[in-house]
Amino acid sequence: MIVTYNWLKEFVDFDLSPQELSDLLTMLGLEVEGVRHVGGGLDEVVVAVVEERSQHPNADKLSLCRVNNGKETLAIVCGAQNFKTWDKVALAQIGAVLPGDFKIKRSKIRGEESCGMLCSEKELGLAAESEGIIILPADLPLGVPVFDALGLKDTIFEIGLTPNRADCLSVVGIAREIAAKLGTTVKYARPSVKESDVPISERAQVIVEDSDLCPRYTARYIAGCSIGPSPAWLVRRLEAVGMRSINNVVDVTNYVLMEYGHPLHAFDADLLAGGKIVVRRAAAGERFTTLDGQERVLTESDLTIRDGEKGVALAGIMGGENSEIRQETSNILLESAYFNPSAIRRTSKRLGLHTESSHRFERGADIDILETALDRAASLIAELAGGSVATGTIDVYPRPLPRRTVRLRVDQCNRLLGIQLAANEMAAIFNRLEFKVNVVEPDLFDVDVPSCRVDIEREIDLVEEVARLNGYNNIPVTMPKARVFSDRPTRHQRLEKQLRNVLVGQGFSEVITFSFMAPGVLDRLLLAHDDPRRSVVRLRNPLVEEQSVMRTTLLPGLLDAAARNINYRMLTLRLFELRRVYLPAEGQELPREPLHLAGIMTGVRYREGWNQERHQVDFYDVKGVIEHILDEFAIGPVAFVQDRLDPYFHPGKACSILCGNELLGSFGELHPDIHDNFGIDQPVYYLDLDFEKLAMVSSDNVAIKPPSRFPDTFRDIAMLIKDETPASAIVECISGLRIREVECAEIFDHYKGSHVPEGFKSIAVRIRYRSHEKTLVDNEVTPLHQRIVDTLIKKLAVTIR
Amino acid sequence: MKEQLDGLLQSAIKEIDGAGSEEALQELRIKYLGKKGALTAVMKGLGALSAEERPVVGQLANTVKNQLEARLDETLAQVRDASKRERLQRERLDVTLPGRRLPHGTKHPITLVIEEISEIFAGLGFQVAEGPEVELDFYNFEALNFPKDHPARDMQDTFFVDDSILLRTHTSPVQVRTMLKHAPPVRIISPGTVYRCDSDATHSPMFHQIEGLMVDTGVTFGDLKGILTTFVNQYFGKGIGVRLRPSFFPFTEPSAEVDIACVMCKGKGCRVCKESGWLEILGAGMIDPEVYRHVGYDPETISGFAFGMGVERVAMLKYGIGDLRLFFDNDVRFLQQF
Repeated sequence: MIVTYNWLKEFVDFDLSPQELSDLLTMLGLEVEGVRHVGGGLDEVVVAVVEERSQHPNADKLSLCRVNNGKETLAIVCGAQNFKTWDKVALAQIGAVLPGDFKIKRSKIRGEESCGMLCSEKELGLAAESEGIIILPADLPLGVPVFDALGLKDTIFEIGLTPNRADCLSVVGIAREIAAKLGTTVKYARPSVKESDVPISERAQVIVEDSDLCPRYTARYIAGCSIGPSPAWLVRRLEAVGMRSINNVVDVTNYVLMEYGHPLHAFDADLLAGGKIVVRRAAAGERFTTLDGQERVLTESDLTIRDGEKGVALAGIMGGENSEIRQETSNILLESAYFNPSAIRRTSKRLGLHTESSHRFERGADIDILETALDRAASLIAELAGGSVATGTIDVYPRPLPRRTVRLRVDQCNRLLGIQLAANEMAAIFNRLEFKVNVVEPDLFDVDVPSCRVDIEREIDLVEEVARLNGYNNIPVTMPKARVFSDRPTRHQRLEKQLRNVLVGQGFSEVITFSFMAPGVLDRLLLAHDDPRRSVVRLRNPLVEEQSVMRTTLLPGLLDAAARNINYRMLTLRLFELRRVYLPAEGQELPREPLHLAGIMTGVRYREGWNQERHQVDFYDVKGVIEHILDEFAIGPVAFVQDRLDPYFHPGKACSILCGNELLGSFGELHPDIHDNFGIDQPVYYLDLDFEKLAMVSSDNVAIKPPSRFPDTFRDIAMLIKDETPASAIVECISGLRIREVECAEIFDHYKGSHVPEGFKSIAVRIRYRSHEKTLVDNEVTPLHQRIVDTLIKKLAVTIR
Repeated sequence: MKEQLDGLLQSAIKEIDGAGSEEALQELRIKYLGKKGALTAVMKGLGALSAEERPVVGQLANTVKNQLEARLDETLAQVRDASKRERLQRERLDVTLPGRRLPHGTKHPITLVIEEISEIFAGLGFQVAEGPEVELDFYNFEALNFPKDHPARDMQDTFFVDDSILLRTHTSPVQVRTMLKHAPPVRIISPGTVYRCDSDATHSPMFHQIEGLMVDTGVTFGDLKGILTTFVNQYFGKGIGVRLRPSFFPFTEPSAEVDIACVMCKGKGCRVCKESGWLEILGAGMIDPEVYRHVGYDPETISGFAFGMGVERVAMLKYGIGDLRLFFDNDVRFLQQF
């Protein structure tokens, strides 16, 4: 909503600067989002009078003038012809800067001195085109800046109105708020219409068939108008509030729309078949061309204004091309009606047609303002277009809405707000708002609400008015006197935070990618056609196709993030995301939204530096991260298996993690095709863990064992073992013996190549022996170690080297 | 003999004092005190002395031996000390060379803000509650007093899945779900991801909110001001001014926009606060009775408030970030600064 300072002043007296007014409105809940000053900067253009005019001796088309600015008489050379002696003119004095950075200097024009310039409207930026100079009204005082004298200096406020405040979609509405806050009254002017002796009943007829959608319809008839341009003041006002001037009649309807907030429509009465208005729902499939030249297909829920034969307007939204005001229009039927908000909104939404009119009707217009708005417009049209207004108003209002009365308990209001306002102070607030207070009991009011305040229906709405007018800042700051209770975060929340901390500790930076993905991305991930992740939640109105479905995997988002960083030459990356995926669930309305942890590693293992070796990360770096997570969550034992692998992995360099029968996730190097599909030309390692399952198998109570106080002793075994036997078999074989003195067995070397026969690998294990009771001596360790060696030979057919 | 011992002592001390290294001192020890050393030789000669002389010279020899040993030990300590000092002097690193670091990770600024704010509210007794992002219209709109065909719905451009399912436009549905599940008192905050179909320099189709809800007996609008002022002072700093001004949300009444004194210019007016001195950071209000009706609470016996803020907005103010898009570009050069 846009209003101007001067326009508001027509309806309410206030002694506030534009800044003070802006603050007052904002603190009332009418947030001023922008303030613009117009007509400023031209203080050196003043009202002056032409005292003498004579011919320039050296130029036929120029005059020499003596012009008085109230202080002195100046010589001015002027090229215009449209003025005479004693006309009041706009004098740009030396030093003035006109629009377009045009500086006025003392000059000589064809040998004659000129101490300023007489201005045209165009030169002052008041009109796009103009002929001759401005002749000002004779009563303007000399020496006063022209813009001040003409009231052209103004401040424009852009107000971000909340949708509940339909009553403030007008100058009067905002004036009412100012008056309520300042404790003054609004200067309402009941428009007076000069009526002719022709009764309207002879000229027009209104039939409302669907009064559920149109509870009230009023109209006036104005004969013999001449359509033409609007006067400058009207054009300027409309332009100030962001409206374009069309012609005098349409401009008046728009002016009254801004002034009273009520949308009006002017029909060319001669284009209404039978001189009749019928308000009725459209026929299904009916075609109708609105003012903007668009043909619209209507449904039975759209309300139309029709004449005896056809639709002439889309009720409350836009008029029709077939009955609009044209240059040759003479007789006008002026509509001021009230339409059902929901109906207007449905039609406006469906057609994507949002207008100043629909905006107001869908928020709820003021059903009692209809006649005032109608009369105001009729009298202005008669004044500006010279028409004569037929006697009387058509008013179809079969079931007048009852006055809204809302009950308020004074103590309830105080209790909710945490204030102690006396009943009479509350009553005073309502009176200032033009609400009528009927005191039922000393602290019980029945409040009559004016029809414009469609937002006030319940006690709480009155409470808000008290808070608003009394000032939110006058409500004391208190702390709740509530019961003390506290719950710690849930187990899931704690584990989630813990998991983030582990990843950060492992050098991973957290990313947040959009929860959307492109449907086609699943092909780029090489997912099988029956992969469950192909079942997606699809958006009906995505912004772009690339964001049209909810993701079922975190991989594409991470790959895009990696690709973008690699593009910036950030070649070493450790990224993770711990967020939801969206999986449609059979038989459920809403999808499941399990948390997943996904991470990406690429580039070098450690930061590059003058004292660090440059190793590229590999599978075992990712595995290390996984092992850390499993340790942190006290999960075990797990199996790393190379089946059930997703197709986006390198089949030989990836694995799944099983804990019992639960698939916790998978990790490894991505398939070369994935690198190609996402434009990445370096190996990328990926890990994906199902957080819900992680949490499920995580154990909360870890038994802590005290460390032994005795020294250890270790023995190594180097062996050749068949290539296909997993290294883990060695460790499992050793731990399977359950020798108490074996503290741990760690693989410390793995080798394939020369000196190792084809089909074999060389593995070295270090076994650490330690007792909790004593220091072990050689002849105690030797038989234990021999048992291990024998078992490895027997069970895994290893050759000891 | 006595003269011999004196001479030996003098020359030995001279040599010891002249020795500059541990090795030289070791050699001197052998030279004088070793099995074949000079003093040992003198001691061996003791047997040839008379019974009267023997104890006198013997004692003298012992004294010389002790003196020499003491001198040797002392000098050795000095030499060691000097060489240690010299070594430490030599072992001087260029401390300006960069250190050896393990890869370091960071949490996303959005996560940091959510964790920090959640902590503050945990201290005020608010527990974190969560809910689905793909949500029913009922929880996102209907139960929060956004009727169908109401212009209030235009305040939030919504992604729809179908007529009744949408991407939540705020985390408020969590309030409804919580109240449906628990009787009052309720004190929760719900951080989470929300969606609106709007994308430009200042709008992201996905962003984050933290909302709070408190319902109990006798909760007032003044209490709302108290909780929010406490939060602002803990998060943005003590003494930061808080201003509430009337606004509208369908699920609260009275509703308020909450401004804080601009953290950039301290309220003097700058580019960030558009010269107003105030920054809008929160929406809040008393829960509308219509919401209680949907969750089966009795507005005559309880009251409460709700508030909500955009996490990105808070993060931008907290860290002085000017561009919303940085949060979702996932550029590590940005992320690693947190």
